Amino acid sequence: MSKVYDVCIVGSGAGGGPVALTLAEAGYSVLVLEKGPWFREEDFYKDELACCRRSVYTPKLQDEQHVIEDTGRDGWEATPTAESGWDFWNGNCVGGASNFMSGFFYRLKPEDFHLHASFGEIEGANVADWPIRYADLEPYYTKAETEVGISGRVVGHPLAEPRSTPDFPYPPTREHPIAERIDQACADLKFHSLPTPRAILPHTDKGRRGCEYSGYCGSYGCSSGAKGSSRAALLNRAVASGRCEIRPHAKVYHLGSDQDGRVTAAHYFDQDDNRQTVSAKLFVVACHAIETSRLLLLSKGPRHPDGLGNQHGQVGKNLVFSAGSTGSGDFVYSKLDKKEAALMKTRGPFVNRGLQDWYFIENSRLGPRVKGGTIDFLLRHPNVLSRANAQKWDADDKLVWGKALQDNIKSALGSVQTLRFEVFCDWLPNDDCFVSLDPKVKDKWGTPVARVRIGYHEHDLKVAEFLTGKAEQVLQQMGAENIRSSVSGSPPANLVAGGCRFGHDPKTSVLNADCQVHSADNLYVTDGSFMPTGGSVPFTWTIYANAFRVADKIMQRLSERA
Amino acid sequence: MSNRLDEWDRQVPAAVLARQQQLNSRRRFLAACAALPLLAAVPAGAAEKQSAWQAREPWRTLAAVQEHLFPATGEAPGASQIHALQYLKNVIDLHGIEESEKAFIQNGVQWLNGIARDLYSAGFIELATAEKEKTLRKVALSRAGENWIATLLAYIIEALLTSPAYGGNPNGVGWKWLGHQPGFPQPPANKVYYRL
Repeated sequence: MSKVYDVCIVGSGAGGGPVALTLAEAGYSVLVLEKGPWFREEDFYKDELACCRRSVYTPKLQDEQHVIEDTGRDGWEATPTAESGWDFWNGNCVGGASNFMSGFFYRLKPEDFHLHASFGEIEGANVADWPIRYADLEPYYTKAETEVGISGRVVGHPLAEPRSTPDFPYPPTREHPIAERIDQACADLKFHSLPTPRAILPHTDKGRRGCEYSGYCGSYGCSSGAKGSSRAALLNRAVASGRCEIRPHAKVYHLGSDQDGRVTAAHYFDQDDNRQTVSAKLFVVACHAIETSRLLLLSKGPRHPDGLGNQHGQVGKNLVFSAGSTGSGDFVYSKLDKKEAALMKTRGPFVNRGLQDWYFIENSRLGPRVKGGTIDFLLRHPNVLSRANAQKWDADDKLVWGKALQDNIKSALGSVQTLRFEVFCDWLPNDDCFVSLDPKVKDKWGTPVARVRIGYHEHDLKVAEFLTGKAEQVLQQMGAENIRSSVSGSPPANLVAGGCRFGHDPKTSVLNADCQVHSADNLYVTDGSFMPTGGSVPFTWTIYANAFRVADKIMQRLSERA
Repeated sequence: MSNRLDEWDRQVPAAVLARQQQLNSRRRFLAACAALPLLAAVPAGAAEKQSAWQAREPWRTLAAVQEHLFPATGEAPGASQIHALQYLKNVIDLHGIEESEKAFIQNGVQWLNGIARDLYSAGFIELATAEKEKTLRKVALSRAGENWIATLLAYIIEALLTSPAYGGNPNGVGWKWLGHQPGFPQPPANKVYYRL
């Protein structure tokens, strides 16, 4: 008879790693099923083709894709991503998307846990309070600092969230000279410049090397191990315990369940596309918000005729992205003195600056007090291929070649430093943002792909515009030129959560407060799917923290059984 | 637009259109064209001498097109200096791009030469620089022709700026021209993406 694991985890990213590590170190047998390959540090290079121009860490869209429903002239129009080129994958390999994150790590603030109670109803939005409070998650935010390796510096800030420790376990990573200029501009404007915590080790620790400051971080796998991916920070240690097995190239397509509604088996395709089955006492799904909802919807059973946990039609609903904007300003080297230009050209250290002065906004234009967001500053990505490629089109969309193209490339790549900003604000959950199964399009294994409707709430744009104005003020104060920004309701494909929100009421949520599926008590969901609201920061620290919290709940349950 | 261009227009592979959409979000093409039939043979295996395959079509014409699109100037390295042809051959032989895109790149040479003969009664490589320019400008008037040139330009730019392990950018000549500081570590030959 084949082995029955204590826990089988589907997905190895930020939601899976904490559960695998916690349970393996506690002595339980853990199996992690990961769809993609298993890359190690020695497979990661600063290779722009591998990182960003070919499908190396994500599937070919012809093999596996999504169908995106966006508003068109005739209402909602569905377009397969193999046709549009709009890629919603974020990293299909051991460690998942956390291998390729930038690691801007912010905690949620206490009020994020009860936005409905604090701010009331917003028409057209499905804002719901969380079934836990900040105090429930705080110990796990702290645990993630140590376990994942989060570096930073606590400063006095009017909106600083409570901490149970005085400071971060790792000092900040080295900072780019532009950080001082941001600080000065913010001081002039009476804004509170905030050091951004990063999931990046500044020095060697726990078998990982410290950051080597190549300057190529976001979108790249980390060759030093400094980046706090689930793989480098957690899974390697889980495997070292001797009780965690990671099975790459294992694409789970169905979770089988019995007459009582309990999950009995995970069915997957192996590297040779053969069907395989594994059994476990408990199952954890953490394969990224969209794919988690898809897997549950695909997993019909005698007690789950509409998909696992979908008795009330809630699976896939209330998907959220991070709303916001992006913008930038240029510092033209030829207009700076030599020393300043040389400083601006510095490659390697991080900007590490954000603003949270308007996490809550009281402004007459927006009405009574509303939820705002976070502004984060960063240098333009050093990748050159997409920038150089854009130069082949002129302002009238005609092709440019020859010397004119060479001049364009030279000018675009070598003459300015660009400081960018990103605004993160809440994507109000709404009835037009959800995951379903596409009725026609299938993946290469013949399984229906996820169809994602990406409707947003107009309120998000108003908040983003307000914050964008503040970010632009900072760039102006710094003397930047060519300041431009883009506020859009278009979702960032790398910042997605929700779809299986947790809550007390099974009719309006998929998971209970412990992230256990209401109607399948041996099934947990630990990726970002659980979030009823996304907060106004990148999600990853919260996903890590919550997965550590749920891991403790699972451990408690397993110990009670024994 | 000539019938020849119309016919070409119907043959842009979906993979090429999707790539263009990824490369430049301003441009939204319809992906509704049927795939081209494959060319009978992609010339040259790895063991073949470089000079032999380069002397054959479609490579001779592709090299001439690349050199026109990205010429050596006093400052900038030209297509031959960045090994753009070798790079393109590696893309076709090794990068796992769609078969329809491989065929599109190579079949484009036949269409280009057809238009060159319509205009000047000579193949593209026999034309003077100004005639080459006029021929390519005419090609770019059609959607397929524009996509074909855009595809060649995309791979020239890759040859200019990607890691030398991929066969272009010898000794970082492209990076040096632009004063670009690449990241480190760079991949060795056995760790290029299609060998991972």
